[in-house]
Amino acid sequence: MEAFLYGVSLQWKLDIRSRTLLTTCYIVPLLFFGVMGGIFTSVMPGAEQTLIQSMTVFGVTMGALIGLPPSLVEIYGSDIKKVYKANGVPLCLGLVLTTISALIHLFIMSILIYILAPLLFDAVIPRNPAAYFTSLVIFILVSLGMACMIGLGVKEQAKTPMFSILIFLPSTMLSGIMFPVEMLPEAFKIAGRIFPASWGYRMMIQGKFSLENLWPLLLMLAVSAAVCIVLLKKVSRR
Amino acid sequence: MKKRIQIHDLKKSYQDRVVLKGLDFCVYQGEVFALLGINGAGKTTTLECMEGLRDYDSGSVDIDGRIGIQLQSASLPEHIKAMEAVVLFSKWNHTKADQAMISALGIDAFADKQYYQLSTGQKRRLHLALALLSSPDIIFLDEPTAGLDVEGRAALHEQIRKLKAAGKTILLASHDMAEVESLCDRIAILSEGRIAFIGTAWELNERVGKHYDIVIRTEEGTQNYESDNIGETLLNLLAQYKEAGTVITDIQVNRGSLEQHFMKIAKGE
Repeated sequence: MEAFLYGVSLQWKLDIRSRTLLTTCYIVPLLFFGVMGGIFTSVMPGAEQTLIQSMTVFGVTMGALIGLPPSLVEIYGSDIKKVYKANGVPLCLGLVLTTISALIHLFIMSILIYILAPLLFDAVIPRNPAAYFTSLVIFILVSLGMACMIGLGVKEQAKTPMFSILIFLPSTMLSGIMFPVEMLPEAFKIAGRIFPASWGYRMMIQGKFSLENLWPLLLMLAVSAAVCIVLLKKVSRR
Repeated sequence: MKKRIQIHDLKKSYQDRVVLKGLDFCVYQGEVFALLGINGAGKTTTLECMEGLRDYDSGSVDIDGRIGIQLQSASLPEHIKAMEAVVLFSKWNHTKADQAMISALGIDAFADKQYYQLSTGQKRRLHLALALLSSPDIIFLDEPTAGLDVEGRAALHEQIRKLKAAGKTILLASHDMAEVESLCDRIAILSEGRIAFIGTAWELNERVGKHYDIVIRTEEGTQNYESDNIGETLLNLLAQYKEAGTVITDIQVNRGSLEQHFMKIAKGE
């Protein structure tokens, strides 16, 4: 347990030293929040009602899908995995540590938005903070699950941004955070439902748990966990 | 003497390519044993099968003792500091890093440097330190001095001698014949998936080293001769020069180097 906790704290520090994660988990989401928060609340009446949720969904989706896969490719696409194996460290440790660390970073970024949005843009604080933060954690976990599939499935570091953006763009564009889903054509509405961002956003703005929004996220989490186990086995044989 | 490693009829193929065609050898307690071979001979595959990092097709590998592994191509997260890696791996192995070993390998000098900032030699030393953290009985070193400068090689050789003196069993794969000759008790040469030679460096010289090159310099010029019977050839040549009245200014007799012998065996000549 001591080794595991040291591993988590070390991974946290490594992520801070890594400019990629710092940029994708903090700098870009918070800059986006600073700019778009001002624009949304100026041009869209009522945007302050859902500003915290929409900016958080954007930041989490970006931090997870674009920030996490390079860290995983660094471990599993290189000789690091051999060093882990040779020194008796379980191969899943890299995946677990990077995921926990990313969860903490994304949660901190979300808290910053939660605190700053009402101060800067008069954003409305969610009615039920407990339900909101629980929904947030579930949404972060599902997004990280998707990111893990990219990180373990793609062998080359150069190809990860392409796969990440392929999921990131439709996730944010079709989730309803930029404009109401009702404005989208039916096909795009349906397509948007295969990404966690639309379900996470719905759950976070409802401020309560409903099975209708929760089960798709839990299903995605279960599928990504199963796929990651298969990919991890494949990677260990590679 | 106690056998620490026993390999019997070890076979390994990658798809259609047979890399190991049935290896048999053993390594004794306290021995420094070298695995030699040209590139692609199967040294790293053999080591990785022994280390448990690679599955083999058939045969048996018996390892008696705790192992430490320094890989040929190894890496760590680029932002991890040297000492953080030492602490992480020692915690994971439920051991405390041996400060004397850390100091002997000079890790203190770059303890706070991140992995990407380390030189090749510093990385090699760090990976050796990680391999030694669990106080292993058997240490696998895959080309430990590749890419090191003269000073780095000397420091690493010194460390290997200390480990041998401490009774550790060391199996190393190398290309460097001088290194092998000065460090190792026995050598196995891999050629085309089989062991083509196993024995001491002296035995290797004896087996293929009966051939001599002779260079005789006189005031008239230089003459080269070859011989498989050095005593008789030299006596005959000296008699011939004396009879002709030629004054000899220099004589050189060269026995083939260990490297030449290794190449002959490795190439199946």
